[in-house]
Amino acid sequence: MAAVQMSEAEKVYIMHGVQDDLRVDGRGCDDYRHMEIETDVVSNTSGSARVKLGLTDILVGVKAEMGRPKLEKPFEGCLEFFVDCSANATPEFEGRGGEDLGTEIANTLYRVFDNGCSIDLKTLCICPMEHCWTLYVDVLLLQCDGNLFDAISVAIKAALFNTRIPKVQMIEDEEGTKEIELSDDPYDCMRLDVENVPCIVTLCKIGHRHVVDATLQEKACSMASLLVAVTKKGTITCVRKVGGGSLDPESVFEMIETGKRVGKALHTPLQEILRKEESLGKKRRKVGFLG
Amino acid sequence: MVKEVAFQVERAMPVDTKRVRGPEESQSPWLFVQQSRGQPTRVPQTRESERRADGRRRGQVDARPMFARCGLVSQAKGSAYIEAGNTKLICSVYGPRETERKDELDMKAGRLVCAFRLAPFSCAKRCPWIQGSQEKDLTLSLQESLQPGVCLHKYPRSQIEVNVLVLENDGSALAHAITCASLALADAGIEMYDLVLGCSLRQDGAAYLLDPTCREENGDESTENQGSLTVALLPTLNQISGLLSTGEMKEETVVGAVRACVEGCQRLYPAAQQCLLKSVRRKVPAPQN
Repeated sequence: MAAVQMSEAEKVYIMHGVQDDLRVDGRGCDDYRHMEIETDVVSNTSGSARVKLGLTDILVGVKAEMGRPKLEKPFEGCLEFFVDCSANATPEFEGRGGEDLGTEIANTLYRVFDNGCSIDLKTLCICPMEHCWTLYVDVLLLQCDGNLFDAISVAIKAALFNTRIPKVQMIEDEEGTKEIELSDDPYDCMRLDVENVPCIVTLCKIGHRHVVDATLQEKACSMASLLVAVTKKGTITCVRKVGGGSLDPESVFEMIETGKRVGKALHTPLQEILRKEESLGKKRRKVGFLG
Repeated sequence: MVKEVAFQVERAMPVDTKRVRGPEESQSPWLFVQQSRGQPTRVPQTRESERRADGRRRGQVDARPMFARCGLVSQAKGSAYIEAGNTKLICSVYGPRETERKDELDMKAGRLVCAFRLAPFSCAKRCPWIQGSQEKDLTLSLQESLQPGVCLHKYPRSQIEVNVLVLENDGSALAHAITCASLALADAGIEMYDLVLGCSLRQDGAAYLLDPTCREENGDESTENQGSLTVALLPTLNQISGLLSTGEMKEETVVGAVRACVEGCQRLYPAAQQCLLKSVRRKVPAPQN
């Protein structure tokens, strides 16, 4: 991640503030920064979304392509993640510098979605053992200002909500050869059910307390963070400790509880905003990349 | 006619005589035999009192007996070998060596470079020799778990290399890799705050299975509350240095599972201490009285 140079005095100032539930920008320990979400920003994709959390800028594009299902799971489709840390974010990401961070984030995303409940992959099956839809979720980091995992998970949820997969039909001839037929109407699409898609909450341990949505400066003061992926129902799909420090078991339990509370509260307003944006339809004023 | 043309084409193309590779996508037939029979070897989960396949209890902190020995690899500074059930791993530590990159951070403290490798024959499905994304993920978890235990500030401008090789994977490979790596680091004489021990668990519905075997790890996905959890603990300081979970579980389940893993690690501590004592006695001759 992009490193920030901080003096010891600044670190002590941040730590003392967090003890009293007051952060540098005036937020409480459980508050998120201002978040902006926009879907359908890239026209060549099946679904896309852009999320701005403070200064962190994430762009997610989902492309649905037909492929073969995996041999162990013949009745399901696939979900593939790829994270690209572009050199726009920081000069450290130039060339292959951002590859380590990209693979770390992609592996965490695979782990978060690796259960039968987040996305119903059976709806992506066209013909068992032969054809299925593979959703390629590509994440692009445009700007990095701390708390990447949270912004990426919200962007993925918004992009999957926006994804439109064309409806296909398998037709069998008299000879037995199968053909795939696409409907003529370009708007005849299938939508995904994103009710159970989890959102990641990153909690950073600073001193004796933990904060949600840490900026780069706050991250530099913390030795260890806990990543919790929470669904709307309040179930946890992934817990992961990141960073080079250690955590007390009691703090781990407290952080999981806070993560569950904050994550659960994030889903309802997010769904509402996505539905409201979609209901505007053609009248919606597109902000795009210049806003 | 078609056959003749094909034969001519074959003669013209250069044949790779150095390698004998199978077809691009090959699978072992054993992977599919169990599926078609409806998996009769899985233990049915009905009551808490039902025993697991190897006789251990469900819902209790019952780990497999562990065999550990240090000092196997003579070339390495320190090494350790662990066997738990059928899971076999070996770890070797090299260092402290001079570091290749000279960042500012390296001037103050040392760097821990970990590598977690699965031998191609270790799992049920053959793993390709090129490091896949799963291995990179586990390498990162291993490094994050070991880092709090090692006194890196005592080794400025150096790097310590830890290489773990899984010879046979019969479940909870990461947990045992963490234990094996810390025993190897202790055997190498690297200064540490405490040993880092790993323990993993499989949540199967209402009960948990501590230290699962490979068959228990690949559980049935259709039932609720299914997941895996690995915890790395520093026993004397009682600090969690690594936590990794997969699968959808309720918060109370996750908390209960972490407590069970912490207790599992505490119970493993005497065995690890015994192994280190034996290796020290072997290396250092008894004082002449």
